[in-house]
Amino acid sequence: MQQREEKLLEASVESLISRVAHLKNALHSFIYKLENEYERLTWPSVLDNFALLSGQLNTINKLLRNEKTPSFRQQVIIPLLLSPDRDEELAKLTEQRVPVFSHEIVPDHLRTKPDPEVEEQEKQLSAEAARIGPEVAQKQIQTLNKLCSNLLEKLNNPRDDRDAESAAIRQNKPSFNTADTNALVAAVGFGKGLSKCRPPGPVAPGHPGQGPMMSGGPTLQQVTIGGGSGQQQGMGPGAPQQQGQPGKMPSNIKTNIKAASSMHPYNR
Amino acid sequence: MEAPPVSVLPITGGTISMMEYLLQGSVLDQALESLLHRLRGLCDNMEPETFADHELVYLLKGQQGNPFLLRARRSLSHPTVPWHLRYLGQPEVGDKSRHALVRNCVDVAASHSLPDFLNEMGFRMDHEFVAKGHIFRKGVLKVVVSKLSRILVPENTENTEPLSLSYLVELSVLVPAGQDTMSEDMRSFAEQLKPLVHLEKIDPKRHM
Repeated sequence: MQQREEKLLEASVESLISRVAHLKNALHSFIYKLENEYERLTWPSVLDNFALLSGQLNTINKLLRNEKTPSFRQQVIIPLLLSPDRDEELAKLTEQRVPVFSHEIVPDHLRTKPDPEVEEQEKQLSAEAARIGPEVAQKQIQTLNKLCSNLLEKLNNPRDDRDAESAAIRQNKPSFNTADTNALVAAVGFGKGLSKCRPPGPVAPGHPGQGPMMSGGPTLQQVTIGGGSGQQQGMGPGAPQQQGQPGKMPSNIKTNIKAASSMHPYNR
Repeated sequence: MEAPPVSVLPITGGTISMMEYLLQGSVLDQALESLLHRLRGLCDNMEPETFADHELVYLLKGQQGNPFLLRARRSLSHPTVPWHLRYLGQPEVGDKSRHALVRNCVDVAASHSLPDFLNEMGFRMDHEFVAKGHIFRKGVLKVVVSKLSRILVPENTENTEPLSLSYLVELSVLVPAGQDTMSEDMRSFAEQLKPLVHLEKIDPKRHM
């Protein structure tokens, strides 16, 4: 009987060791990839790695849960010999990670209780749980269950339901306005809404013929002065100042314009 | 008064007559972000480019009916870059089945004395506006998303008000005259932007 148990224990420990070795290799290659090839790494390959790790953890869990596996909790490991000397066998077994089986490594490797910090946290959590009382706890459990089942339902339902909902929401918020499109196209095409001859606009000089201060105005007058022969040179600098000089000068200039436009050199 | 056909002009290495294929649409301000995300995904991978341009449209009134229109454009964000002068012809009334608006297009660069030059030639500025937005490229296709603003005080490009609550979206391609393969590509690209924006061939004459 005991022999059988021993054999079983040994076999399960062996398989556990091999599974953990696989997991360790997968982690090792993943870390290597992350550290050295992070520029070329794509999200799908990272996901693949995580999936691999998760699968391996799952197999380990299944192995532990297997009925044939004896309960490891009931086994006790006692170090029989601790020495500060380097042990070559141990070093080879652990790939140089544990060269000495000494007093320093025993608390870490043979630990059965959780770390002190973890123990503290667990104590706090259980104190909190005891504090809130059984009814409140029950209610919280129920709410959590309800949320989870709602989420599962939404995820498992056929996609058409979801699509119809989202399409309806999208239709309520149109992203373009046809009237705006037409207005903008008209504005770019031929300046509808942009033209200078807007009545409510400020006294915007720009229309030739209005006001003395337009950009086209002085040029026009200078051209006529050039085209109409025998004009005084004083007219040039005098023209922009016409608003300051009353009377005869403005009317003279108007006459000049009329006379000169008939023999304007450019055909318009 | 139509521009003389290009074959008559002396070709001293200047411009070649190109045809511009155009599809236009608009998108409301609140949907702009989603449109920009989609364009960033669909278009060539480049740094998102923004632009701020001031366009002046010059008219030359002929004795007969149609005035001759030239568009002068300068960059507000790069003031030393040369001006861009463009002539756009009438849309070609050909194939009704063609999906995009096609018109003759002549582009030249010009120095900063362009407005004075045009004034001396007899052109008068008809209207001006400021366009600010983003530009994307996919191969030869160009997508421009711009906000048009009206200039309130002439010559003052700081004082502007937006023309509408939408951004104008234009998809355009410039091809040498003769090729007619682009409209299918444009249509399939436009399909990918639905339902955010409906890019279509809009005849500006209809909104006169």
